[in-house]
Amino acid sequence: MDIIVGSLVAGLLFGMVLALVALGLTIIFGVMDIVNFAHGEFLMVGMYTGLLTAQGLGIDPLLTLPVAGGVGFLLGVVCYFGFIKFLLRGPMVAQLLGTFGLMLFLRNLALLIFGSEDRALHHGVLVGESFDIGMGVIVSATKLAAAGLSVAAFVAVWLLMNRTRIGKALTATALSAQGARYMGIPTERMNALAWGIGGASVTIAGALIVNFWSVNPFIGLLFTMIAFAIVALGGFGSVPGAFLAGLVVGLITEIPGFWDFFVYTFDADWMSNVPMTSFKYMWVYLAYFIIMVVRPRGLFGWKH
Amino acid sequence: METLKNALDFSDFPRIDLVIASSLAILFLCFPLFPHSSFAMATMIQFLMFSLYGMGWNTIGGYGGQVDLGKAQYVGIGAYTTAVMLIRWDIPFWFSMPVGVCFSVLWSFVLGYPLFRLKGHYFAIATIATSLVLKDLFEVWDFVGAARGLEISPIKFPPPDFLRLIFKEDVYYYYVILGFFFLGILYMNWFRKSRLGFQLRAIKDNEEVARSLGINVHWAKIKTYAIATAFVSMVGSFHTCYIRNIEPEDTMSLDISILIALMAMLGGAGSLWGPIIGAGILIPLKSYLKEWLGARAGIIGIDLILYAMIIMAISAFEPRGIWGIVQKFRRRRQ
Repeated sequence: MDIIVGSLVAGLLFGMVLALVALGLTIIFGVMDIVNFAHGEFLMVGMYTGLLTAQGLGIDPLLTLPVAGGVGFLLGVVCYFGFIKFLLRGPMVAQLLGTFGLMLFLRNLALLIFGSEDRALHHGVLVGESFDIGMGVIVSATKLAAAGLSVAAFVAVWLLMNRTRIGKALTATALSAQGARYMGIPTERMNALAWGIGGASVTIAGALIVNFWSVNPFIGLLFTMIAFAIVALGGFGSVPGAFLAGLVVGLITEIPGFWDFFVYTFDADWMSNVPMTSFKYMWVYLAYFIIMVVRPRGLFGWKH
Repeated sequence: METLKNALDFSDFPRIDLVIASSLAILFLCFPLFPHSSFAMATMIQFLMFSLYGMGWNTIGGYGGQVDLGKAQYVGIGAYTTAVMLIRWDIPFWFSMPVGVCFSVLWSFVLGYPLFRLKGHYFAIATIATSLVLKDLFEVWDFVGAARGLEISPIKFPPPDFLRLIFKEDVYYYYVILGFFFLGILYMNWFRKSRLGFQLRAIKDNEEVARSLGINVHWAKIKTYAIATAFVSMVGSFHTCYIRNIEPEDTMSLDISILIALMAMLGGAGSLWGPIIGAGILIPLKSYLKEWLGARAGIIGIDLILYAMIIMAISAFEPRGIWGIVQKFRRRRQ
């Protein structure tokens, strides 16, 4: 039983961080209908920022979030004005390949600067600490803190989107860019802002993930696909959908844990022979495909 | 007979294009006679392979406007079918290639049915997801060598062997793939004037209107997807015999899928010459950048940074591709 509760808890905690990863993608998609392949690379930038700030300044890795957020905001805005603005005029195939080019660019820039080896954080107040939450389940403190801070960041972005004038202007741009322009909303600046907020939220998530996950230049694609799966499940452009779907996808990544539980319970030979851990992310892709086919709108989608 | 006449009829192109095309064709035929390095030969073979991939993608992605970013899975199916059949049961290339095409086409029907209910971005990302699922499966499947992949050992299958397509020198591979290349052009020339070709262009322009004209949109897309698949799978089989060492990472990765789409887009999607022009520019550029900047200078990643910048520049400033620029100049001169 402790295996299944442990997997549930781990899945939910990871899901909260993943929800923050997907938030950026869903905002960008919602506002300007463009799919960002470089999303995972933004996350990688956040991970490196968190790592380097923590190591360079000697502060606790959980306090690097403002720096990571600033870097992400800047990155998003620079990408928008330097590149994405021009893409928006072209056909869809150009947009897809363009953001793919951005992804290759960022990935190889990281490769050039940092080299291809894995890097991880080894110091910090919470590193190595863990809590026993009962039923024999032990949760590492870094994961718990990362999940908590993700939820806080998520709520902050949600409040920004729903309770402020800027958020209303963003939503108006998402609903109808032309209408928003007639109402005097500077849509160009709104688009850039969407990229800024999207970039900031994903780099913050990256700075949180680096607390318990090593980073290398190739990590982006995995998170891009996870973020796509979450956004598809929650509905493209939906913020609460992204949160709920993040939790679901977090649980999906724990399928090997649940599988172990069944192997243990039924004691079946063929089950223990299946190398489930190597399928870990395949379930995410598969879930994404099934969701797309069965309900393309997602759970809370309002745009199709 | 009518089909053959259609395939050989290039008369709707201006004469200058045909002169350039046929002189290039002769140049390709004579290329091995000129002095060349083995690197240049390898680049030429890569170019021919990728223009065939691009032609396949062009049917569904260029004429049909459905952005398919999951073609690598069919490269993988074709390549693995050939490798497994050769290594386990000693079945030669010329028999295993059609079998691989059949597998790929069957798989494309299985996937195509649900996939083509999606549109636009949703379709594009879903094709990536399917491709990655298959890649993950192949990476743990022991029968096909898991992540280590398969290798055709030259001791067990000594070259030269035409039936199994195992040669010592690259020249023979060059002529085999050149043959496929010419057949591919003829087929594409027929395709763009066929009923299906016109239906696809109607779908690309406006799907609702196409449906109201009585075109079975869903079925037309699935059929074209299968044609594109057959092209890709065929070249995948050739890839096995040429490289002789296949892994999921270099046959089924997302990079291959994107490269295939990029070929056609750079040259000009939806035109006969587009994928060939695209491959002709991108493949030499990619391999020479890698040779000069990557291998020789020893700076990792710089070649791919330049490559990425080229992709970004094209998609931002000239999304219709090189053929689009040519057409624009022509129209201006008239």
